[in-house]
Amino acid sequence: MGRKARYRYGGGSGQSRFKKRKRCPFMIAGIKEIDYKDTETLKKFITDRGKILPRRITGVSALYQKKLSNAIKRARHMALLPFVAEA
Amino acid sequence: MSKEKSNLYEGMYIISATLSDDARNKALARIEKGITDRGGEILKVHEWGRKRLAYEVDGHREGYYYIVYFNVEPKAVEELWQEYHLNEDLVRFMTLVTDNVMEKIEFRALVEER
Repeated sequence: MGRKARYRYGGGSGQSRFKKRKRCPFMIAGIKEIDYKDTETLKKFITDRGKILPRRITGVSALYQKKLSNAIKRARHMALLPFVAEA
Repeated sequence: MSKEKSNLYEGMYIISATLSDDARNKALARIEKGITDRGGEILKVHEWGRKRLAYEVDGHREGYYYIVYFNVEPKAVEELWQEYHLNEDLVRFMTLVTDNVMEKIEFRALVEER
């Protein structure tokens, strides 16, 4: 299927309206499995409140978003990550 | 599926940080014994150290994390869970089936794209 040159809207107007689509950070790094113990990485994909960031913002592929959300949920169970963080 | 076949498991245990070092080691020994008594084999024990819990669990704000890799029959895991639920030194536990034993608890960092 290959990577199509797809674009999405960036903010603002004028020339810089189109931004190149982000690539999945896990595919770039060549990480196959996302480990729930790796809290430093997982923290990059949650908000200050502890919610899982949508992949439209992070650019994570659908497959890895599923793995990521499972890992985050496991980490939450083991009190490595918060369910709700008071901002 | 063969019933007798044993799986590789990764168990993570949070032991209460209020315990003394002695009592904590005893609690860990009890966990290990639970596995070996059921015909399991312990492959690796990582002490992940004292960590602050992300939220309060039964009044605990801190806990001692241990990661244990072991081989045991699937049937024994159910029994282990029941035992763990009754174990009051254990704040939280989780057992997962894994493919490989992690020699070190280290992770590859993501590379920034820019």
